[in-house]
Amino acid sequence: MGRIPVSYLINRLITFMLTVFIAATLIWIIPRLSPVDPVDVMLGRMAAGGGSIENSDAILTQLRQSFGLDQPMIVQYLLYLKNTLTFDFGLSTASFPTPVASLIGNALPWTLGLMFISLIVTFIIGNLLGALMVWENTPKIWKVAIPSAMVFTAIPPLLSGLLLMYVFATQLRWFPLTGAYGLNVEPGWDWDFIVSVLHHGFLPALSIVIVTFGFWALGMRGLMITVQGEDYSVLAKAKGLRPRYILYRYMIRNAILPQVTAFALQIGGLVAGQVLVERIFAYPGMGKLLYDAILDQDFPVIQGVSFVIILMTALAVFLVDLIYPLIDPRIRHEM
Amino acid sequence: MTVLEIKDVSIDFPTSRGVVHAVTDVSLSVPQGRRIGFIGESGSGKTTTALAAMRMLAAPGFVSAGEIHLNSLGKTDILKLNEEEMRRVRLRKIAYIPQGAMNSLNPVMRVEHQIWDGIIAHEGAVTQAELQRRSDAALEGVGLDPTIVGRLFPHELSGGMKQRVCIAIGVCLDPDLIIADEPTSALDVITQRHVMQTLREVQAKIGAGLILIGHDMGLMAQSVDDIAVLKKGELVEFGPTRQIIENPRHPYTKELISSVPLVGGESFLDPSAAPKAAGGDSATPLLELKGVSKRYGAVTALHPMSFRLDGAVPQIISIVGQSGSGKSTMGSLMLGFNAPSTGEVLFRGQDVYRQHAAEKLAFRKDVQAVFQDPYACFNPFYRVNHALKFPFERFGLSEGPDHTRAAMEDACRAVGLAPETVLNRYPHQLSGGQRQRLIVARALMLSPKLLIADEPVSMVDASLRATILKNIHDLKDQHGISILYITHDLATAYHVSDFVMVLYKGHVVEAGPPKEVIGDPQHAYTRLLIDSIPWPELDRDWGSADDARAALDKLAEVDRRPDTVYRGSVPGFELSQG
Amino acid sequence: MQTGAAAPETAAPDTAGLTKAQLRRMRRFDNPWRNPKLITGVSILLGIIALGLLGRLFWDMDLVFTGSGMPRQAPVGIENIRGQVGTLAHPLGTDVSGKDILALLIVGAPNSLYVGVLASVIGMSLGIFLGFTAGFVGGRTDDVIRVSSDVMITIPPLLILVVFQAAYGDITLTMMAMLIACFVWQSPTRLIRAQVLSMRESGYVQMARLSGASTGHIMFREMLPNLVPYLFGSFIANVTTSIVTAVGLEVLGLGPQRVPTLGRVIYDAINSGALIQNMWWWWGIPTILLALMFVGLLLINLGLDEVSNPRLRRL
Repeated sequence: MGRIPVSYLINRLITFMLTVFIAATLIWIIPRLSPVDPVDVMLGRMAAGGGSIENSDAILTQLRQSFGLDQPMIVQYLLYLKNTLTFDFGLSTASFPTPVASLIGNALPWTLGLMFISLIVTFIIGNLLGALMVWENTPKIWKVAIPSAMVFTAIPPLLSGLLLMYVFATQLRWFPLTGAYGLNVEPGWDWDFIVSVLHHGFLPALSIVIVTFGFWALGMRGLMITVQGEDYSVLAKAKGLRPRYILYRYMIRNAILPQVTAFALQIGGLVAGQVLVERIFAYPGMGKLLYDAILDQDFPVIQGVSFVIILMTALAVFLVDLIYPLIDPRIRHEM
Repeated sequence: MTVLEIKDVSIDFPTSRGVVHAVTDVSLSVPQGRRIGFIGESGSGKTTTALAAMRMLAAPGFVSAGEIHLNSLGKTDILKLNEEEMRRVRLRKIAYIPQGAMNSLNPVMRVEHQIWDGIIAHEGAVTQAELQRRSDAALEGVGLDPTIVGRLFPHELSGGMKQRVCIAIGVCLDPDLIIADEPTSALDVITQRHVMQTLREVQAKIGAGLILIGHDMGLMAQSVDDIAVLKKGELVEFGPTRQIIENPRHPYTKELISSVPLVGGESFLDPSAAPKAAGGDSATPLLELKGVSKRYGAVTALHPMSFRLDGAVPQIISIVGQSGSGKSTMGSLMLGFNAPSTGEVLFRGQDVYRQHAAEKLAFRKDVQAVFQDPYACFNPFYRVNHALKFPFERFGLSEGPDHTRAAMEDACRAVGLAPETVLNRYPHQLSGGQRQRLIVARALMLSPKLLIADEPVSMVDASLRATILKNIHDLKDQHGISILYITHDLATAYHVSDFVMVLYKGHVVEAGPPKEVIGDPQHAYTRLLIDSIPWPELDRDWGSADDARAALDKLAEVDRRPDTVYRGSVPGFELSQG
Repeated sequence: MQTGAAAPETAAPDTAGLTKAQLRRMRRFDNPWRNPKLITGVSILLGIIALGLLGRLFWDMDLVFTGSGMPRQAPVGIENIRGQVGTLAHPLGTDVSGKDILALLIVGAPNSLYVGVLASVIGMSLGIFLGFTAGFVGGRTDDVIRVSSDVMITIPPLLILVVFQAAYGDITLTMMAMLIACFVWQSPTRLIRAQVLSMRESGYVQMARLSGASTGHIMFREMLPNLVPYLFGSFIANVTTSIVTAVGLEVLGLGPQRVPTLGRVIYDAINSGALIQNMWWWWGIPTILLALMFVGLLLINLGLDEVSNPRLRRL
């Protein structure tokens, strides 16, 4: 649908890189402002944890060098940036000497899978319901039911997760309480494993979807009301188009555009919500990794996980920004 | 043969304050191939009546009595069809051409797809080749090149092109009746003529009936066969155009006809009042522009120009142009809102853009403005007296609250408003005309030396325009204020001004006293403008669509040679290009 | 005469033939502040505040400490897993270490609200300042503010705060509120900047400039009053975001360690296996209370939306 203007691309790319850079910098600076230097604490803990491991002294010496602790601050910072941007977050102190990167590598697929469902499915359901609230041909019952469901959308996924878990996992026992797959199945691409994964993922996903769809529905409702009053919707009706066609091709098609922008802005908050849901369900994703690291005061993991989640968020925003000109032909003129 | 028959239709709108009877007992029929004009001011029920025939009344409105028959449906009352049957009537039997040309097309869909979806909705599966053939034919019919325009998105079209696409959509299924709701209200006069002639041409070709809704008697006179005059929901007069124009029976019809300003003819102003001298320092001119130009990026909004307004004797200088001519840019330059790219704007010898705070305040007191949109000029948060009281006190003109109130009340009376009924209201409680008069009253209270009036009457109902212009004219005559009148309307400029400049794409193309420039234009552009104005004179030839198209070609010629034609000068004002 | 209403206005409206109920609905339509959602939302929040204030008068606050009562007591009249029936001494039961749940709620709920409101007030003030600056000063300043709000809106505050707290350990409620405030200025900044840019060109601001108004006058007397509905909505939304972030931190075991908060109670409950031991009152009651708080805030926001946008209202 036409080419994306280069200036727009550059603009979004700069924002993306700036986001990653600032996040990385904040993660580095904050601990160094604290009275106790966490790197010292960290190395101390590693030394303690590594007592029983062969070669631990050699590993630690090498690590000290890689942090450049004897170098000026600015060199330490640049070294950190280089390491971080190459996904080298050092070694976990709690499970020494496992590299943080490999811990994250194990957790990331689970988080991405859950994120895909929680973000995309919620976005679609929410917008559709929001549109139906405004559409004149929506059955009466829907117009009553959707706004009532909206009340629950105030609740953060963390709390809905707790409630769902209590009802469906501990009381009714329809779904497992925690984990991503049963202890009795081996990870692999077989039927049992997939069923087990879906069975385990259902409640965490539901607890996000059930409360976040309303955010989209509410936004969509407002936009649909505006679009409904636009001249092109009036002309669409005057053209005798079928109501369903008007709904999809004229109304939702236009009302969705600001929602896509809002989507980019909300990803950060939604991902944070998901981190907490993972922690509640002990789902083996980034959220649980983060929580365990906090319990163990495993600072390299905390830093690494935070950075990767922010990177994922920024990347998602960047992707949405890339898609946007494809769905709105006017962007070419505004840039 | 009658295409549409409206029988004793009444339309009600239940609102929070009770039921509003928007239309009462209107009966009317549209014969095949005939053009009927619905004319009236806002709130007259003209659009409401037409929308009732489409069954598309805005939410709470409903037809409370009467029947509407469409000939091709036999005896069935349109109002009794079910939704699906009604859907099939729209576009195929009755096409609607909307008012807001700017927003009537779906912004994310290519133009030809918007023609196709109408065809598919009524005829089901149609082959791609057939769709393409028909959309091409429809676009060609309205003078657009289908190979280019068909593939474009609406934002890539000009206003006139968008409106012609809407016409193409409207006629692609050969409907029995076309309802055009002020199809040219957002367009300038040259484009208006082209679009209106296109509409008449395609309507005549398919032989459909046409209902043209509008508020401009001039446009009606040039475009329709019969006129229906509506006032407050009632049909007050209906008859052939010639009878309505030449021999109107109802006083309201007369009022509508006389509210159209004509070039030449009788003035609505009182010519006897002699302007009083401002008594300023005649050595330094009041306002002087020295080689002023304005660029926005690569676009030049205003080419270098210079003028000198003495202001010793107050004058009204009109700046006439269509949208994009640079006339509003000139206004904001002179108000100190928008620094020029080159040159300087001098007020009493001082550069407007190089003043310190105290000088700035004095400048503000002496140069005031009336803007186009009376709805936006009042802060919705305050009562309207805030707009009058605040500058009066700010400029140190007030001698205390009682003095301020007395000054506000005097100013209101001077523009013909009753102070007690307007001053303590919120803006939304007043009409557009009342608000615009309040803005004039505000200017009066501050007694500036110079007033910039930027399209002061273009958003006001026709019947009030003369009154407001007279108020503004009084500022010159009775209060010695020099006025720069910025407008697109040549007829009013003809009557109020002492000197006229015609602006086209940032160039002054013709300038001089109004009797010469507008009464007897020499420049091709000025002539084109004047030829394009629709007047309530039936024997005048408004030209065909081809004429209008040829005229647009002539414009291209003007673009290449934008020289100024000087048509004489008046004392106290000097103009030079460059 | 034009009154600005949507319906075409002609003759005086005719009120005959309407029932009393219809008239009442019409009047409610005329006074947007009598909005049922707004009223319900405000009542819920006032109720929670009242619980915090009155509770201190009528209940013993020392019960928040460990060992204040028998551990694992169920709410009054309900049996716990060991068959003990809850008593009036601890009407909402106790946790695993004998802390009284009611006392925890009375202390914790106002704390959560306090963090939310304080963070939001600071964030809004920052946002108003930056939004007006960006909109008015323009140029390079505007670019910097715009890009940094774009960047900061992408970064989930929770993660930066996690890093912060992991490095610093215990913090106070006020500290936490101020930290959260660093991440809730972006939305109001963007909102106000956009509004200021559009208002700058509006007729009444031009008129004010013609009237010799100072920049300060234009900002605070002409623009700000018209922004109030937006600011209100944005404020409430920010309170929600701040509380969600605070509770999130608390549930991760961060946040103030010594002050009882609702999130902290939930954290303790999950950590002590309250779900498996079926001690639903321990985590369930604070969860419901928080949920109510969020519902109240949402209702206020929806109500405000309807007040400022009449098209959302229905007759």
